Amino acid sequence: MSDTPVLDDRLKKERYEALVDALYQDVYRYAYWLCKNSALAEDLVQETFLRAWRSLDSLQNDKAAKAWLFTILRRENARLYERYRPDIVDIEDQSIADSDENEPDQRLDRRLLHEAIAKLEKDYREPLLLQVIGGFSGKEIAEILDLNNNTVMTRLFRARSKLKHIFVPGSESGDEVPEGDVAEDQD
Amino acid sequence: MKMDDLEFRKRALENPHDTDADFVAATASSASRQQLVQELKALDSKLKEIVQSVPIPTGLAQRLKSREPKATAAKTPTVFSRYYALVASLIIAVGVTLSVGLQSANPSAADLKFHDDVLNHVYREAPRYRSDLEDVSWQQINQVVAEAGGHLREDERIKTLHIKFANDCNIVPATRGAHIVLEGTKGSVSVIIINNSPVTTKFDVNDPRFAGKIIPLGVGNLIIVGEKEEPLETYEALITDAFEWVI
Repeated sequence: MSDTPVLDDRLKKERYEALVDALYQDVYRYAYWLCKNSALAEDLVQETFLRAWRSLDSLQNDKAAKAWLFTILRRENARLYERYRPDIVDIEDQSIADSDENEPDQRLDRRLLHEAIAKLEKDYREPLLLQVIGGFSGKEIAEILDLNNNTVMTRLFRARSKLKHIFVPGSESGDEVPEGDVAEDQD
Repeated sequence: MKMDDLEFRKRALENPHDTDADFVAATASSASRQQLVQELKALDSKLKEIVQSVPIPTGLAQRLKSREPKATAAKTPTVFSRYYALVASLIIAVGVTLSVGLQSANPSAADLKFHDDVLNHVYREAPRYRSDLEDVSWQQINQVVAEAGGHLREDERIKTLHIKFANDCNIVPATRGAHIVLEGTKGSVSVIIINNSPVTTKFDVNDPRFAGKIIPLGVGNLIIVGEKEEPLETYEALITDAFEWVI
């Protein structure tokens, strides 16, 4: 009698665990900044990996795993939380704990930037997070968000424009290019 | 073709790490362009530092590998949870006043699914609760509550309410529940008591038509749903004061 099913199960488990080890931190951080709450983020990550386990066979190339997981996570977020949105007004201040290593000015900068990221409109925050956390290219972000490439680049432009003024004295939010010059393509 | 300032600025803000030859050449062509790219790279560096400094929950990787989602695990009865429920029930039955208990900050995924199930049930049942229904007897109310594993102490304030419906409730399969409907100031108010895993936190129903609360109540949940602007806190206080689990 063949022991192939047992071998398959073991290989699947090994593949899944390697995926968890390699990507769970990035997936959690993306979830955290997406829903702005640590408890919801953990639920979201657990649901995401559970679904990933169930459909692991559909992942043809492990190099595409991160984009695949982020896509599942976004879908789960929409399914579980976007219909019912608890009263989360401000993101938890987990990432701006005062550190002795930081000078007061640096702590203020971090706090301002932290708040600015959290307050960015979702349309701008998402592609920026995918670029910064995921390291994805514009084309990859477009695929994950199901947008066209021009729209993604415009949103990245606007996201940085809105954040830049905090750190660059003299610049103002969103003043770099008139709206019409970077109008988003219709999706 | 030489890149103009507008195009350069757009490209820099889209991705200051762009390594395309035309962007690199355009950056090198002036000190102000180099300064802009440096500022944006510094911004990205700070951004990366902040978004990546979010603490990862302890043991998360292990929990993911065990493939036991927090929400599902909480709803799956185990020997321990049955034992825990029994002990909790006994303690409550000897007269410990019910309380909402410790609450976490936000509802879990399982809580939100429960929320949706509750709302679907209320919408489905709502047409049945006409205002001209007769009062149901106290005996009938407590029979239904007893079926769910609880007891409602006779309370004169509750007895003054027009309670027009009392029946078993099947929102969650394989659990026992009681569904009581009373006539409120704005219309029907559903009071549902279910002997299932308590939600992780008390939270409000979110719905265009109904207002409501989902409240962890000892070993189960109390749900109160009514029309918007119904004073649900009054009913919540009455029920939590008079109810006890006796399972």
